[in-house]
Amino acid sequence: MRRFGAVFAREYLERVRTRWFIIATVFGPILLSALIVLPAILGTRAARQTRLGETVILDATGTELGARVAAAIADPSRSEPLTDVRRVTAGGLAQAEAEATAAVMAQDRRGYLVLDERTMAGLTTRYAGRDATSPPMMERLERALSDAVLSLRLENEGLSVDQVESVTRVRPRLQAEQITDRGRGGSGMASFLLAFVVALYLYAAIILYGQNVLRGVMEEKQTRVAEVVLSSVSANTLLAGKVLGVGAVGLTQLLVWTVSGVAIYRLREPLMATMGMSAPAAMTLPDVSLLVWVVYLAYFVLGFLFYAALFAAVGAMVGSEQEAQQAAQPVMLLIVASVVFMQPVLLDPAGGLARTMTTLPFSSPILMPMRLSMVPVPPGELAASLVVLAASCVAALWLSARIYRVGILMYGKRASLREVARWVRYA
Amino acid sequence: MLPPAIEIDRIAKRYADHVAVRELSLTVPAGAVYGLLGPNGAGKTTTIRMMLDIIAPDQGSIRLFGHPHNAPGVSDRVGYLPEERGLYRKMQVRRALRFLAALKGVRREVADRRIDAWLDRLELRTPAKDWGAAKVDELSRGMQQKVQFIGTLLHDPDLVILDEPFSGLDPINTQALKDTIVELKRSGKTVIFSTHVMDHAERLCDGVCIIARGEKVLDGSMAQVREEHGGRTVALALDGGSANGVAEVLGDRALVERVDDSNRWFEIELAPGADPQLLLRRLIERGAAIQRFELVQPSLHQIFLQRVGAAPTEVRGDA
Repeated sequence: MRRFGAVFAREYLERVRTRWFIIATVFGPILLSALIVLPAILGTRAARQTRLGETVILDATGTELGARVAAAIADPSRSEPLTDVRRVTAGGLAQAEAEATAAVMAQDRRGYLVLDERTMAGLTTRYAGRDATSPPMMERLERALSDAVLSLRLENEGLSVDQVESVTRVRPRLQAEQITDRGRGGSGMASFLLAFVVALYLYAAIILYGQNVLRGVMEEKQTRVAEVVLSSVSANTLLAGKVLGVGAVGLTQLLVWTVSGVAIYRLREPLMATMGMSAPAAMTLPDVSLLVWVVYLAYFVLGFLFYAALFAAVGAMVGSEQEAQQAAQPVMLLIVASVVFMQPVLLDPAGGLARTMTTLPFSSPILMPMRLSMVPVPPGELAASLVVLAASCVAALWLSARIYRVGILMYGKRASLREVARWVRYA
Repeated sequence: MLPPAIEIDRIAKRYADHVAVRELSLTVPAGAVYGLLGPNGAGKTTTIRMMLDIIAPDQGSIRLFGHPHNAPGVSDRVGYLPEERGLYRKMQVRRALRFLAALKGVRREVADRRIDAWLDRLELRTPAKDWGAAKVDELSRGMQQKVQFIGTLLHDPDLVILDEPFSGLDPINTQALKDTIVELKRSGKTVIFSTHVMDHAERLCDGVCIIARGEKVLDGSMAQVREEHGGRTVALALDGGSANGVAEVLGDRALVERVDDSNRWFEIELAPGADPQLLLRRLIERGAAIQRFELVQPSLHQIFLQRVGAAPTEVRGDA
């Protein structure tokens, strides 16, 4: 036990101490918050950059249209110079346009908008300016125009200003909500997102830390440290200490990320307020019970053990980095296969394919948590999946320990499958 | 009377395509410096790995200090320096050493004290530079060897097992290692090392065991081994090189079993039953100008060649 502790502590501390780990662990949450905040920042920035207030409106309609458009595009939160509305006659339009063009070229104005009979007829309106290619600005301009034309027409038909206001104010916003067997369960988008994030994290963590185990085994074999260590501890202890030490590193990272992720989510409104932004549309967290979190954790631990055992066996079989890449391909293929099936399972999380893939041990650690966060899974299926995975884990660890015990002391070329089969029999 | 440091009783290790060790027995008394000699591929490393319980023998038993070698606590009394040396490359030297000590159950404070003492002693820590704080891969090969040697001795083992300890060492480190082995013996430790360089064994060992093709060829104390092989070896030096007639005499298989021409003299192993006086007379008859004709104790090198060299040796890199 003391020796297991020494091996475990070394594996854990040497990894947690690395610059790479610290950066990844600290920057993970920062990246996550950036993903939440960045779209908001970019959105705000884009809106600010379309400074429609600096536009000249050349109004040749002889109506209030110019003034209404100006009021609609004015940004109430900013004290920009008010949009310049010039009433011109149809004959003076050419002259006014030339002047406006000169102003835009001299960078006094961003652009100019021409309103005439064709605008009132609802046909076309001309805009010329430096930002004529910016879709958000053109969209805003179009909406302001159609609103202004519509309300002007309604008033001409005899409606009062207030009536027009109440008739035209239509701003629907779709809010989708998920319904599960247990009732309403937060927004559908959020469940989907959570499922995706959980699957992706498990996938990334298993590859990352599984390969970490492979490299660790290979290093001990290549540098021949294994021989010294094995004179003090048994191969099984060394393997267990290594796999669990690396797994603990993964758990540590997961813990830091989860805690900071939840904290960022909870504090997102004050956080964004300090940056001068309003929080994005409230997204209710899906209703995930503690039990489900425990199940996620179980899949992470078992999935990691399963793949770490396979990677450790590969590490013990090979003699160099290049050989390792080749020999690890079958294992990688198993993981990648799970990801290939991610989309079909996402689309039909209760279908036959999803049920099969969440029972097979190589894909269940990634796909079952995903399925679980989208639809309720019958307890029987969940239990069967966990039992199959746990049994496969035991088998993989047993096999790996036998390969490891012999392979770690075999130097030279990569062992053939027949040799490895012999190791398993004799060890 | 202390139990022997090592008692090996008829151990064997077979692999699918060859036998690494067969029916090997040997005893190493406590407090001795013992040499395990043999050509490459003789089974030295396999034997050592079995002593350390890194691999299990197919048959036979091994006892260390009178206990079964895999009994709890026994491995804590053994220090091992493998032939192929290496340490965790990215690990700080001091941490790597602490880890090796922790595996043997040495408490952290004790380990730190000993690490400092050893680093000072092997000049890895000087007022100018503390290599203990460096990463292993920043050290030169020679320094890494020193660090590994420290790791072998940190837990103050009663039995030190060194596999080919001299290979790859420069003369200064070779001397330092010899000094350390002598010092370990003085403080009552048992040292066993494998080598195929007979000169090292001859100078250091109280006892030797020669193995070839997985089998013991001979063993015993150094004096005993030489005694058994004495009286049959003649050192012959000639003035002006060897004349034709001399070669003829030395080629007589009734008289001479084997000749080792060491350039400045010949080391001659007499044929069984041959009379050295007859050899001397024949040489004089042929007009050889003899500078030296002496019945000598054979060197370990000669004994080795005599007992092992006769048959072709199996050469395998991994045994």
